[in-house]
Amino acid sequence: MPLPIKDVIRMIIENTRKSGAPIPLPPEIATGWADGMDIPRGGETVIYTGLLYQLLPYLNASIKKLESLEENAVGATLLKLGKIISKVIDINKLISSVSRDELEKQYDVLRSIAIMLRNADIEYGYLYEDEMYSGVLLFDMGLDDFFKEHIEKVYSVLRKNRVKRIITIDPHTTHVMRTVYPKYLPEYDIEVKNYLEILSSKGLNGGMKSGVEGVIHDPCYYARFQNIIDEPRQLLNAAGVTVLEPPLKTRKLTFCCGGPIESISPKLSRNIAEMRLDELKNINRRIIVLCPICYSNFSRVADRNLVIEDISRLLVKAFGE
Amino acid sequence: MDILGETAKELYRALDNKEIQTGLKRSISNLSISVDRVLNVWPYLEELASKVREIKEETLNNLDYYIDLTMRNVKRSHGHPYFARNREEALKILDEIIGDDSPLLIVKAKSMVTEEVGIREHLISLGHSVYETDLGELLIQISRDKPMHAIAPAIHIPKEGAIELLRRLGLNVREGMNIEEIVMEVRSFLRRKFVDADIGISGANVVAADTGSIILISNEGNIRNTTSLPPVHIAVTGVEKIMPTLSDAFMQALVQAGYAGLYPPTYLSIIAGPSSTADIEYHRVYGVHGPKEFHMILYDGGRLSAIKDPFLSEQLLCIRCGRCQAECPVWGLTGNIWGGNVYGGPMGIVWTAIVENISLASALSLFCLVCGRCMEVCPMKIDMPHIIRNLKSRLNL
Ligand code: SF4
Repeated sequence: MPLPIKDVIRMIIENTRKSGAPIPLPPEIATGWADGMDIPRGGETVIYTGLLYQLLPYLNASIKKLESLEENAVGATLLKLGKIISKVIDINKLISSVSRDELEKQYDVLRSIAIMLRNADIEYGYLYEDEMYSGVLLFDMGLDDFFKEHIEKVYSVLRKNRVKRIITIDPHTTHVMRTVYPKYLPEYDIEVKNYLEILSSKGLNGGMKSGVEGVIHDPCYYARFQNIIDEPRQLLNAAGVTVLEPPLKTRKLTFCCGGPIESISPKLSRNIAEMRLDELKNINRRIIVLCPICYSNFSRVADRNLVIEDISRLLVKAFGE
Repeated sequence: MDILGETAKELYRALDNKEIQTGLKRSISNLSISVDRVLNVWPYLEELASKVREIKEETLNNLDYYIDLTMRNVKRSHGHPYFARNREEALKILDEIIGDDSPLLIVKAKSMVTEEVGIREHLISLGHSVYETDLGELLIQISRDKPMHAIAPAIHIPKEGAIELLRRLGLNVREGMNIEEIVMEVRSFLRRKFVDADIGISGANVVAADTGSIILISNEGNIRNTTSLPPVHIAVTGVEKIMPTLSDAFMQALVQAGYAGLYPPTYLSIIAGPSSTADIEYHRVYGVHGPKEFHMILYDGGRLSAIKDPFLSEQLLCIRCGRCQAECPVWGLTGNIWGGNVYGGPMGIVWTAIVENISLASALSLFCLVCGRCMEVCPMKIDMPHIIRNLKSRLNL
């Protein structure tokens, strides 16, 4: 039985308005990845995680919960009774259900990116607990008023911290903060660069072939909306990774992982992920992803013998020393 | 249950329906490979597509003028032009053309606009016998499903399903027959209908304002028979199909065929007015081997008000090639069940907003990934992700 979708949307709005993110994330979880990294606080140029990687294990847990509500009889009855979703899903329980391991996996991605930027002589700071979620989910769902309200706060935090440039690390935050914000905030003047663009402009070369090969899955927002297509390939090549391409459905014609509708319709989202994975896994068992949402949606449906790997984890082996 | 809940339920039913899943899977990859092949072999189609977009933009900006010009030129070529604002008007015009005759035999070529108006159902309710002559659409007529795709309406019906449906119509098809044999049975069944039909009804893939001509694309050959054997031909088409000149219209027809993966199209029919001869004493006689009467109903059905909508208006550039559907991840699993009464998939959500209602379109839009693949493959480069996101924002929470 499908979810009461409007309740899901209302829950996302409510959480984002109250806590700044679709799932309230304790500040120590949002910033924990930077512990011991000695990244200066603030500065004109900051790395901007947009919290997406950190949110991932929690989003995943909530999607699993939503999925089980869709599927099992008790869930269906609760939904029929009209219990609103936010009552059925206990956020605190959800947060404590995520294992340290799962969180550390995402931290590893963030640390890899931070280390590579530092090694490439990029100077940057970090806003720590001041950093806010980009609001991308509100935008994706067409919740324009709430989105505008949210990004005004984001922009004022950036201004208060005198930030001029941000280095984004995922496709959704990159797209929304680079291309969408200026349409809603005419005065928005933050320069947005993506870490893959920065690293690839540095002409890095990791030398030897690593012997690692994998099939690349372009995220829609990098490939179609931000034209970040050659950069990841160039970096992977430089890192000695052999990049395999899916026939037809690659680069600008890449095929969505299904992630964007995971909270509206977990079942449809899962079916799309399975359809895409079926194709990718026939090419190689290592699937290189460039986006936390793709990572999460594929991981939810992948068999054990598949390796879903964030590009940064492959690159850091060559550029992290 | 609310419209959103109903929509979600329908989609889940499609996901759980094995027949639909098998049919879609089999057809979609073939469709997408053939478009890719066409564009590789005939790369000029991409260039033509961008020219067509430019011309269409200009035409839509002056659509009232071009509607008027089309009407005048249809008249000049001895056809009868009509303009219908809505469904009721279109059906009234149709009733007047047909008159109160006893039950007639009517053959129809596939046309989404006639689906919009509900022409087949209307005529059947008046006691006429109506046959769709496109094989896919005939299957849809029997199954009472909605067409699943603009070009390939029965994309979700596998062979076994087709046999069972054709049997219901009294055709001599049996389990175990191969597809060639099935097609032969359909040919001989419809052949008699074409010859005996009193009226042929078609849509139009494009309309040329400067000549009052319509262009129809077909591979089955049914359209030629539908539009030339019966004594009366009625074409019903949306006003957005108008192009300024016959050569512009021709270009659009080629692009549509190419992006539907059917290139070269086997038949392109260009029709301007009824058939005629002046071979005896230079005396003009209408109705020789082709129809004696040609009628063209230009249909608004929400299009003219959509032109004023800053988001929906761009969809009027759509030439209905159906490529965005075949390349969409969500449509690939749901077909036109993810759609309104007539149109589905990325283009269909927006068309539903234009010709049906915004709240249904908004509910449908929530299931869109906004992944942008539709825009990437669209020959008109219509920014459907932008329009669909806007439809999401119109949902009443
Ligand atoms: S929106 Fe574009 S791709 Fe889709 S049917 Fe129309 S013209 Fe074809």
